[in-house]
Amino acid sequence: MHRARRKGSPTPSTSARSDALLSGRLYDGLTAHPHEVAVEVGNGGLVLRQEGGWSEAVDAALLKRLDGGQDSLRLGRSDVAGWRLVVPAEAEAELKPLLGRQDRYGRWIDRIGLVPALIAGGVITASVLGIGYLAPHWIAPHVPMGWERNVGSAIVGDFGDLRCRNAAGQRSLEALVDRVAPGARDGPNGIKVAALDVGVFNAAALPGGYIVVFKPAITETNPDALAGVLAHEVAHVRRRHVTEALIRELGIGALIRLFAGNVGANAEQIVSLSYTRENEAQADSDAIAMLKRAGISPRPTADLFTRLSSEVPQFSAEFLQSHPLSAKRARNFAASFDPRATYRPALSRDQWDALFDICAKPVKPT
Amino acid sequence: MDAYSRAAAGAPNRAVRFTGSWRDYLPIAATNALLIICTLGIYRFWAAARQRRYLWSRTEFIDDTLEWTGTGKEMFLGFLIVVAILAPFFLFIQFLFPALVARGKAEAAGGIMFLFYIALIYLGGFARFRALRYRLSRTYWHGIRGGSDNPGWNYGGEYLGRLALSFITMFIVYPWAATRLWNGRWNAMSFGPLQFRANLTAEGLKGRWALIYAAPFGMLFVGFFLALIGAGFMAASGGGNTPRPALGAIFIAFLVLFYVAIPLATLHWYAKYYRKAAEATSLGDLEFSFDATTLQWLGLFLGNLALAVVTLGFGLTYWGYRNWAFMVRHLHVYGEIDVSDLTQSTTHAPREAEGFADAFDVGAI
Repeated sequence: MHRARRKGSPTPSTSARSDALLSGRLYDGLTAHPHEVAVEVGNGGLVLRQEGGWSEAVDAALLKRLDGGQDSLRLGRSDVAGWRLVVPAEAEAELKPLLGRQDRYGRWIDRIGLVPALIAGGVITASVLGIGYLAPHWIAPHVPMGWERNVGSAIVGDFGDLRCRNAAGQRSLEALVDRVAPGARDGPNGIKVAALDVGVFNAAALPGGYIVVFKPAITETNPDALAGVLAHEVAHVRRRHVTEALIRELGIGALIRLFAGNVGANAEQIVSLSYTRENEAQADSDAIAMLKRAGISPRPTADLFTRLSSEVPQFSAEFLQSHPLSAKRARNFAASFDPRATYRPALSRDQWDALFDICAKPVKPT
Repeated sequence: MDAYSRAAAGAPNRAVRFTGSWRDYLPIAATNALLIICTLGIYRFWAAARQRRYLWSRTEFIDDTLEWTGTGKEMFLGFLIVVAILAPFFLFIQFLFPALVARGKAEAAGGIMFLFYIALIYLGGFARFRALRYRLSRTYWHGIRGGSDNPGWNYGGEYLGRLALSFITMFIVYPWAATRLWNGRWNAMSFGPLQFRANLTAEGLKGRWALIYAAPFGMLFVGFFLALIGAGFMAASGGGNTPRPALGAIFIAFLVLFYVAIPLATLHWYAKYYRKAAEATSLGDLEFSFDATTLQWLGLFLGNLALAVVTLGFGLTYWGYRNWAFMVRHLHVYGEIDVSDLTQSTTHAPREAEGFADAFDVGAI
């Protein structure tokens, strides 16, 4: 039929009036020339005729309905690109039995209907978001620490020149971690702590059990407050919050950003923000317990948080989590102060002096 | 009926007309928005196809409407392909960059980032070319479509080169770059057997471009002048305590002017750019013109913004509709087209749809 049609391509004619049911305009997909044709609705298809004897039958199975504006009905053929038959919109009733359902929302939606599609989509979306929100929390504790260590050392490396390498200072820093979290540095998966010569007040837990403290977090605090900060980061590592954040960043975050563009990015931000707060609160309460066990006063940490919450922390590196500071967090630490307890300083005077100079360049003997 | 005489701009028998109405479009806009939300955004490809089917079918060109034949499925697949190509790069960079920084190799990290951005700009130009080519290949009129046989790889390079040159010269040569790129894109496009011809030059576009550089200084001058008047006024009224808030207000007004002046001047340039671009472009014996003024463009953008705000975001679904209607209403076509000679396009119909353009968020025209 395809070949026959091409052979008998209609001749240009502007007066095609016959006793047929409908008159239509035909584009054959070969040229833009319109052909006036008479359209007869037969069984199983259409017959197009033109004065001069040209005629062509088109099987209904090949016909598809296209968007044709308000006052015309436009048909295409699935086997000939550009073949178009334009008939008046009134012809719809007659042609309807021949034509399949028109594509409306897209085939996968049309198949089940708009309302069921909306309901099914809503349920799936809610479950995906729900799982995406919870999954990192469930999965994180089951990720082998060894894997995370590999990822962590791939990302973190040895910090190059950023790292403060004063040996005595490093010993003091490690002693401080041991004091708040005895045994935390033991074993191959133990916590590794490093001071970085970066001029921003921050401390962070990184993948693979790394804890980094930036220089101002040492030089602008005191041993007890730094102990509180370190306890907080140790809690992040122990609770696998870092793993969780990593999974969330690579998993659901990437997926949503992929498909939803800006809207999704905002939604994802809300999810990750609320999540971070939850984790932060947990890390805080762990830290308070650690300080208590170590016999270190929580007050200096509370004072530090109060002080920091009035400043704007500036930091934006991808993997280093920043800590939203609030007056509420400071109050939690302050409230845990027990007037009857006997608190001991977190570090000795000598240890603190060594730690204070951890970023000082070693003086080369001349 | 084969030849059409010149249609006068603005006459009721204009060659291009938009016949859509926002009420007709409402069911499409509403269901699109709902479905996009309920499918985590995946429906947006089908939504775009529906929107275009409506807009194209309500756009009359001479004696028949345009027709959009692109599908949501092909746009979705195109997007997936692009994601499959780009995702490894993004992931790699996402790990490599912090890893290098953490090892104290900031220079290497910077170098990698630089190369990465170069690649992104190249792909952005490529994407823009491919989007135009795709849209033409899916646009039918009288059963005939457009397209291009050029794959656009060279255009990506040209885009990168001209943009780099603009950047080096603090964008002073941007009018030359933009006009050559317009020509580069459109000269590669065709409709049926007819090749688009674009011959846009920076002639007449330099003055307004200079205005963009002058605008902040002009505003500075105006601001200074206002401040002087204000100071004089206060001195005259003899108020010793009032100057602080008044000066603050002047300072804020001045800041706003400063930040509004450059975008406005840029819009002023683009308004003329598009008018000149349409005039410099032809298809066979058809010639084009575009008559939107800076104020009309501003009206479009502010209208879009106001609509989105007033409808609490739902108006966003009408942006595409409003932009298309705006373009069609301001576009004029003159000349004749011989429909018997307008044979089917022999160009290869691309299959990857607008994946790249989608990924880089660039428009087609």
